[in-house]
Amino acid sequence: MKFNFKTLGLCFAAATLLVACSEPPEIAAKAAKRPDVAPYMGANNGFVTKNWTPGNQASWTESVDKRTQGQNESSRVK
Amino acid sequence: MARMKFICDTERCIECNGCVTACKNDNEVPWGVNRRRVVTVNDGIIGQEKSVSVACMHCTDAPCMAVCPVDCFYRTDEGVVLHDKDICIGCGYCSFACPFGAPQFLSKGAFGSRSKMDKCTFCSGGPEENGSVAEFEKYGRNRLAEGKLPLCAEMCSTKALIGGDSDIISGIFNQRVANREKNGKYLGSQAFGWSTAYGGSGTPAPTPTPAAKIPGAQ
Repeated sequence: MKFNFKTLGLCFAAATLLVACSEPPEIAAKAAKRPDVAPYMGANNGFVTKNWTPGNQASWTESVDKRTQGQNESSRVK
Repeated sequence: MARMKFICDTERCIECNGCVTACKNDNEVPWGVNRRRVVTVNDGIIGQEKSVSVACMHCTDAPCMAVCPVDCFYRTDEGVVLHDKDICIGCGYCSFACPFGAPQFLSKGAFGSRSKMDKCTFCSGGPEENGSVAEFEKYGRNRLAEGKLPLCAEMCSTKALIGGDSDIISGIFNQRVANREKNGKYLGSQAFGWSTAYGGSGTPAPTPTPAAKIPGAQ
């Protein structure tokens, strides 16, 4: 009988220790990837350039492409 | 859809480190972390010295994404490889996998403890709200959402480093190479790292992380 209590105690201790290795569901859910808003939706600050409309993908693409061409000094010197 | 990429022209880079300074200043990158750095080979040998500005190339088939054990990386529709610092565990696998040495870790104390991974975001922030303080503190500026391009490229004094839509910047680079070859100089110039990062001309366009995997993504 004494042996059984000891075994029971060891099982309880092992189960208690193993709980620390588990991951509570709220933590597991938090580790999921979060949404990332597309850049053409605009930024929530005062540094947004004026020549496009936030939310309009076509105008953002056109504006950024124009800005990319601004790095081409060959087209700028003409 | 734009596919954002960088090109560094080794014939033009003068190792001024302006890109490094601009990146650190604009994104308030801490000491010990360099999202961008300039590497010089054959230093001091006249006619053979070449410099190149290196950062994350936002690879087509990014090895960092493949090896991450917690899957914290994602690719935007613009082809930019980003990561979620709330998921990153700072294991450093991405650092070993990256051919450009882009992932950076801040040493935080004794026994080699280090921070979560930090790298170039192509100035497009992370999963926090665009342009928010939270996004700035974790990932730096989100210039793409402001209608701008990465500051390192935009302020490069010799225009060695150019960034933006791959079709446009490769067109600019090809024009330069053609002009050089016409003048008999620097025959066979190549864009540093392009074949490593983006593969050959037959390589398919990168696949964005599916919206289903990022709930609410637009």
